[in-house]
Amino acid sequence: MTDRASPQTSAVAALVLAWAIPGAGHAYAGRWGKAALFFGCIVGLLAAGMLLGRGTVLAPHELWYAAQLGALGPTIALTPVSQYVAVREGIDYADRWREMGVLYTAVAGFLNILVMMDAYIKMAYPHERGRKEKA
Amino acid sequence: MDALLDFFASILAPSNPLWLYYPLCAAAAVVYKATKFDEPRDIARAALLFFLHVTGGMFALAVLTYLVSLAF
Repeated sequence: MTDRASPQTSAVAALVLAWAIPGAGHAYAGRWGKAALFFGCIVGLLAAGMLLGRGTVLAPHELWYAAQLGALGPTIALTPVSQYVAVREGIDYADRWREMGVLYTAVAGFLNILVMMDAYIKMAYPHERGRKEKA
Repeated sequence: MDALLDFFASILAPSNPLWLYYPLCAAAAVVYKATKFDEPRDIARAALLFFLHVTGGMFALAVLTYLVSLAF
């Protein structure tokens, strides 16, 4: 047994961290700039989506929620807020602003899946980095 | 021709929620290209190109489908 975690273990840790908090996988790998960029873009999209949909966009009974869960941490954290607002004020499914808000949050989830994959691949296969980035 | 101009005017109207697709597309472009490149300059250039390609492609598709809808 070694003192350091194997690249595969570290890669899985980066994947799980990136799922929990957007950009955390890259922060774990010491790439703080990219971590901040990913966090800003993904959490920014989620926040913008919540504002556009007046807080009712995270509805677990909708299929979109599966995509929104791509950004697990913020989505789980904001779901009770969204549910509270939905119960209190109701959901207007025909509202085009809400539609746009749902789209924003779903895209944020999909983008976080991409970021998770990137964090995993760059930890698991560090020697592949240079070749890919020059392409 | 007037119909096409009206179409452009409706696309560019401030009240059109289509404007909200641009920040969404820009964020997607930045995140996607940041997974491909390391240098901020490379990321910015590639993201801008990606954004222009997607936006231009969507615009061309919109014009094409509008013209097809006029024909039938």
